[in-house]
Amino acid sequence: MIDRLQQFFHRVTSVFRRKKLDHDLDAELAAHLELAIEENLQRGLSPQEARRQTLIRFGGTQQAIEQHRDARGLPGLEILFQDLRYAVRALFKNPGFTIAVVITLALGIAVNATMFSLVSAFLLRRPVVHEPDRVVVVTSVNPARGFLPDTNPVCAPNYFAWREANDVFSDISAADEYRTVSLTAAQGKPEALPSAAVSSNYFGVLGVAAHLGRTFSEGEAQPGRDHVVILSHELWQRRFGSNPAIIGSAIRLNRENYVVIGVMPASFRLLGFTPQVWTPLTLTVADRATSARKDHNLHVFARLKPGVTLEQARLEISNLARRFEQDFPETEKGWSAAVRTLPDFLVYNFGIRNGLALMMTAVGFVLMMACANVAGLLLARATGRQKELGIRIALGAGRLRIIRQLLTEGLLNAVIGGVVALVLAYWGVNFIATKMTFNEAISAVPITLDRNVLLFVLGVSVFSAVLCSLAPALRASRTDINTVLKAESRAASAGRPHSRLRTVLVTGEIALAMFLLIGTGLLIRGLYVVEHQNLGFQPDHLLTAGVTLDSARYKDSAQEISFVRDITSRLQHIPGAGIVAITSDLPATGPPSVNLQIKGEPDLPANQTRNTHDVVVSADYFSAAEIPVLRGRTFTEMDSAASSPVVLVNQEFVHRHLPDQEPLGKQIRLSVTGPTPKWCEIVGVVANVKNYSESPEEHPEVYEPFLQRPVSSFSIMIRTKADPNSLASDLRSALEQADADLPLLHVMSMPAVIDLQKGGDVLFARMLGVFALLALVFAAIGIYALIAYSVGQRTHEIGIRVALGAGSKQVLRMVLLEGLKMTAIGAAIGLAVALPLPKVFAAMFTGLPFSEPRLYLIVPLAIIAVSMLATYIPARRAASVDPTIALRNS
Amino acid sequence: MTAAKLDLLQGTLDLMVLQTLTAMGPLHGYGIARRIEQVSGDKVFLNQGTIYASLVRLQQRGWISSAWGVSSNNRKAKFYSITKKGRKQLSEDAVNWQRLASVMSRVLGM
Repeated sequence: MIDRLQQFFHRVTSVFRRKKLDHDLDAELAAHLELAIEENLQRGLSPQEARRQTLIRFGGTQQAIEQHRDARGLPGLEILFQDLRYAVRALFKNPGFTIAVVITLALGIAVNATMFSLVSAFLLRRPVVHEPDRVVVVTSVNPARGFLPDTNPVCAPNYFAWREANDVFSDISAADEYRTVSLTAAQGKPEALPSAAVSSNYFGVLGVAAHLGRTFSEGEAQPGRDHVVILSHELWQRRFGSNPAIIGSAIRLNRENYVVIGVMPASFRLLGFTPQVWTPLTLTVADRATSARKDHNLHVFARLKPGVTLEQARLEISNLARRFEQDFPETEKGWSAAVRTLPDFLVYNFGIRNGLALMMTAVGFVLMMACANVAGLLLARATGRQKELGIRIALGAGRLRIIRQLLTEGLLNAVIGGVVALVLAYWGVNFIATKMTFNEAISAVPITLDRNVLLFVLGVSVFSAVLCSLAPALRASRTDINTVLKAESRAASAGRPHSRLRTVLVTGEIALAMFLLIGTGLLIRGLYVVEHQNLGFQPDHLLTAGVTLDSARYKDSAQEISFVRDITSRLQHIPGAGIVAITSDLPATGPPSVNLQIKGEPDLPANQTRNTHDVVVSADYFSAAEIPVLRGRTFTEMDSAASSPVVLVNQEFVHRHLPDQEPLGKQIRLSVTGPTPKWCEIVGVVANVKNYSESPEEHPEVYEPFLQRPVSSFSIMIRTKADPNSLASDLRSALEQADADLPLLHVMSMPAVIDLQKGGDVLFARMLGVFALLALVFAAIGIYALIAYSVGQRTHEIGIRVALGAGSKQVLRMVLLEGLKMTAIGAAIGLAVALPLPKVFAAMFTGLPFSEPRLYLIVPLAIIAVSMLATYIPARRAASVDPTIALRNS
Repeated sequence: MTAAKLDLLQGTLDLMVLQTLTAMGPLHGYGIARRIEQVSGDKVFLNQGTIYASLVRLQQRGWISSAWGVSSNNRKAKFYSITKKGRKQLSEDAVNWQRLASVMSRVLGM
């Protein structure tokens, strides 16, 4: 073994000491021959005969040298070096060709690397917790709730029941995510921070330790001892200057003192579940009551018992959920439960997987087209190199040897392309990182050229090297030396098989370009329709801001109402301000949905529920948002806690729940949080507002008056005469006068809110558009190169045709038809493959409209136009062939 | 057997070289080749040039060593000699060969 290692070591070093070793061997062989000749002379042979005998006995010096070298070094490695040297020479010999190949590959690889950096950042990065695949997230499932219906939070009684009854988890914890607290520091303005209230074993279940200090201990979940807080690393750096002395001191949260007990490590990020502060989750007896079942606000994180599989956990949890449904039909009807591993849940809940899959498919196609173009170029060059290869084969190069050499050349091209691609991708990634800021969770994820991306680029480069040089290499290796070396002149119709393979490649490219353009067109059109849809209210000239009233100062609904009255009147006095309204959810921002009953209507069968979106608004909401009231009346100041409860409904509500009935005067009961819900009378019907600006869907919606059901977290909406942003500072100072310690969230115009909500869609659509255009350019280059090459090859033939009387028009038509034939076949294939796309997209992106039949006409026409243009240039050249020159040339 | 020359089995030449160096002491490549031819009674089909691949292989494994020296007729030549490791290897390989040879002769004598 050691001998072998030693030998291998020597063989490797020999490769690099080639010159010296060869020199030694020459001397040794010379000595050998001299010794032998001398001996033969002594035996009495003539000098000539002595030499002859010696050489016969020796058996060929060149073979001996080759044998020696093979035994001495690593023949494989040496051949590689030889091929590389040759390949480098070939690169420099034909720089134009090299640049074309490298740029094509680099572009193809760069777009892939850039997109893959997103995949790596969002899908491949493992959460930094202990054994992430053993941590599961339990969520409630309600198919009636639109977006990601299987990721609803869990209600507290179910959490308790699971904690006590399951056999599959070694530990189970709960988190109330998406809270907002206001931090009042010694200096500076109050700041609203995303926070989570977590059970004391939350960090234990995840298996994460604090970077500084400690995490929560058992007793801190008790009311009275719960004024402790853990900070995120980012907040600790930003607001507390990374001061380690912060541990043990108090900070002001929601006007109360909280003692900082720990700082989490910077690596502790759970995509959408990465708040800035954690406080203990206090659950009381009230949270076990049946009435608490309506309140789905907990995310349940649990660790699987050793040996328990995900499937077993799923079975156990769904059995329990079924039992809840039987025991508490009133609230649990229609609800079931889902279990996912933590990494899976985080990615799924983030909702970015489909988008990324789509982008990767698109760039994958772009890369394939780049490879097809390069393969086409290599094929064209292989024809030019036929003679060279023929000579090599005649000199004894084997088929494998030729394939190997051509693959090495391809690999070198791809590696250079890969390096250039990395430079391009570096820009691409930086560009995207600056654009991917549409929400806090996204911008918190660092997007870089990490190890995964580098490995990916390496893999893709090698893959495309093989992909684009294998076909030309195989073909070249079959070169028939007789025909090649004999054929001094180009045959009249040269390289039929060559042009056939290239025709297939170009046809494939056209099909791919067609498919990509239609796909992108559908997506962009879908997004455009949604972006320009009538939302049902007037978003322009609306200024909005979010407020969360803390329970320390605003202890009951009377205080909340008086604050709202106070701030409303202050805001109305701002110059330029029109109507001011308060709403629990801004229009078209996806309000929560609740179950409901209608008095006099029978209950639905067991598997169905009536539900509706539910928004709490102040009386002026409809006039501020300019939502038309169609029937009855809107709310007034008279609809207060003292009067009988009233609601407004939208048209869709009437259509869905009260078809062919008189809605006014009907009584409904909503299963909302809080004390026993009352029957409310419908006093008016308003026009539909899109529930979500990104979707054309319209769902039933109920509006409750703020005075009857005040909420602590709401948005302010001001109709302005001028640019809404010009009133932002007045809004801030009005709020400061009302309550200096209350932070304002997102002061922005309504169109900006909608843009933010659209998030990455516009960016993604733009990037897709760029990829599709790149694909079209590649297809055009491909068809241009093919036709130009074929015209070049056929100069002789065309010359004969012209000499025999073919007019330039006829030649032009002939060449154009050749291109048109390929385009038509490719376009037909692409069209056929693209037909089911609307259905695929509709399944991937719920709610977007994807029917646009016009695209199936426009895109083929555009592709035919582009490819005709690409064909026309070489066709013109063909038409102007001078027969005397063409025929003499051969 | 007399007419046809023996084709060398893979690895046989290495063993012959080791044995030759053990028996004769340091030798140059030509000397080794000549010696093998003589001992085999010119029955081994050996292109003398082949010996150099074997020599470099053995040297890389550390079984023989080499040094430039002067031949009997005053010519510069590379002399090979067997190392300690080489002797050990030779004795192991020789035993193996003898075993194989006796087995083969028994099998063929069936």
